Amino acid sequence: MLVLALRSIRHRPGRFLATLLSAFLGAAVIMTFNSMHDTAGQPGIDSAGSETLSLSAGVVGGYGTLLVFFAIASTLTVNVRRRAAELELLRCSGATWAQIKRMVVGEAVAVALVGAALAIGPAMLGGQLLLDVFQDSGQVADSVDHSFGPIALMSGIAITLFAAAGAAFLAVRRATHRRQLRDRARAFSAYAALVVGAVTVTSTFAMSASDEALMAAPAYGAILLSVGFALLATRLLKTLLDRLSLSGPSGWLAVRNLRERADQLAGILMSLILFTAVSTATLTMQAVESDTVEKLGIVKDIDAKTLQTLNFTVVGIIVAFVCVMLVNSLYAATTYRAREFGQQRLAGATPGQVLGVVGAEGLVLTATGVFFGTVAALAGIVPFTVVRSDEVMPGQFFGIWLAVVAIAAAVTMGTSLATTRRVLRAPAVEAVGLAA
Amino acid sequence: MFRTGSRRTHDEGPAAEALRLVEVTKTYGFDDSAVTALDGVTLSLGRGTFTAVMGPSGSGKTTLLQCAAGLDRPDSGIVLVDGAEMTGGTEAELTKFRRRRIGFVFQQYNLLETLTVAQNTVLPLRLAGQRVDRGQAREVLTSVGLGDRLEHRPGQLSGGQQQRVAIARALVTEPRVVFADEPTGALDTRSARDVLRLLQQTVRVHGRTVVMVTHDPVAASYADSVLFLADGRLAGRMDAPTPDAVAERLAHVGDDALKAV
Repeated sequence: MLVLALRSIRHRPGRFLATLLSAFLGAAVIMTFNSMHDTAGQPGIDSAGSETLSLSAGVVGGYGTLLVFFAIASTLTVNVRRRAAELELLRCSGATWAQIKRMVVGEAVAVALVGAALAIGPAMLGGQLLLDVFQDSGQVADSVDHSFGPIALMSGIAITLFAAAGAAFLAVRRATHRRQLRDRARAFSAYAALVVGAVTVTSTFAMSASDEALMAAPAYGAILLSVGFALLATRLLKTLLDRLSLSGPSGWLAVRNLRERADQLAGILMSLILFTAVSTATLTMQAVESDTVEKLGIVKDIDAKTLQTLNFTVVGIIVAFVCVMLVNSLYAATTYRAREFGQQRLAGATPGQVLGVVGAEGLVLTATGVFFGTVAALAGIVPFTVVRSDEVMPGQFFGIWLAVVAIAAAVTMGTSLATTRRVLRAPAVEAVGLAA
Repeated sequence: MFRTGSRRTHDEGPAAEALRLVEVTKTYGFDDSAVTALDGVTLSLGRGTFTAVMGPSGSGKTTLLQCAAGLDRPDSGIVLVDGAEMTGGTEAELTKFRRRRIGFVFQQYNLLETLTVAQNTVLPLRLAGQRVDRGQAREVLTSVGLGDRLEHRPGQLSGGQQQRVAIARALVTEPRVVFADEPTGALDTRSARDVLRLLQQTVRVHGRTVVMVTHDPVAASYADSVLFLADGRLAGRMDAPTPDAVAERLAHVGDDALKAV
């Protein structure tokens, strides 16, 4: 089966591009930050600098691991779904599910290994740059040299490989197992995340404005709330669609398509919600914090600076990963619909109307994702600003929110419309015949 | 059975000639590997006729149908549907040209899985920007014997039933010509007979014009006349066809074409 796995990669490298990109980005992030552990472990480094480096490596490294896992899982789920016919054929030719599982996991590990190997060079460069940032802001002494050692290398490769193997395992499971039990588990974790998130957010009020860790509770609360919403994404979308009616033939078709495909769209909606919530909440709170500190005329201490660097880095990483996931799932989902678009065209839809359907679907998805993401973000932002600066709605929010929404909309609409245009280039009769 | 809408104002009632092809040529591929699928085909079909197009594999019958139906653009020649010339502009222009004049039935039905039977049936009207009500869908589906299946999904119906939904959808815009590409190719004998009778009925009772591509002599025998195609050229015509006569002629249609070369 491993031979088959390698052969299937060699003959269709394109299909693994998204997985490779996720593995590469993930490994690069993990190695970059874990090289701070190596740097901190060098002899002769002062304890404050060492602490800054280790803290950033710990926090971002943890985030990175989670993101690699989700990104690879998302790309592999799409990959396995697209290959349902091929896997079924293998099964009919006598392959057991265990063998198929081994093949998919083998493919994923091979691709992840390549991604991790490619990431070593960029990660060495990234680690050097990161250290420069810490040194420029005075958090680490200038005399410290960057070191890319065994911790960075081993953890980068090991985490990427394990994440890929685990994600592949889940992707096959998802393709073969019944949903019943998973749905219940998912609903339970969703409500648990919402409850814990709400409690965490509320606990902000129990803290004082000068608490160092004031930002932690509302930020984690907002993230938990967004995870809760993300897990309920399918249900939320269905509820919304039952009440929604768009005018025009394109809008009419869009609502019906979304209703039918709500389950498959959960991944896209999830990415949108997490993206909006995490980036809006983190960036707004950081902006409020910086402005308040400035107003009070306090010079930031090293911890505050580290926190700021970390916040921006985390948001940057999340943006990059969510973009890869969004683009990949939207691209795959749209290419997969070539036959459906062909049928619409044969029934009398102009290419413009088909694009209109896809555009309307994208708008509904973006609006839903942004709405729930914003609710989660505000749930964290408002308690924070009430305690920190005695205002309910910080002025910094709107600019940041607009930028986040613009990116989310541009990625969602851009990918689906560009892919649809490409799909529409084939004649309708051919598009219908291909998948038949 | 089908209401005549006010949208007919674009022309002066139906022309006597439903379809006319003049010197239509279509070549696929380039240079050495070029294949001439249609080699100067000229034909004319009157209103209210049921014509079958037959020929061996690779004779160009599907290409003929696609060029005549505006799904493909001929390299040269003229296609007139209901007296109006089909001009190969953008896909959007061709689509709008087809909407009011042409209906399709395919071997694979091509119904949208996300829509119910009733929604599938009136989709062409909706896409053309017309108001539709449930009555219209019920009316046209009743006429194909599926008035009780409005809320079903295509996947819940048998092949024959799905093909009848496709026919209802093709007829709902009251097109001047209905093109059917192997409409019984995926059906069992009994369902195939129902579908063919339905097509026959739309011609005989409601005066529609139907052009059907098929390789099955029995299916062709339901038509008023059969056109034979070989190597991209017309190779004869048979009126009042019977399955045996069609099969006999089909077996030799290639010979005639060879002799003619």
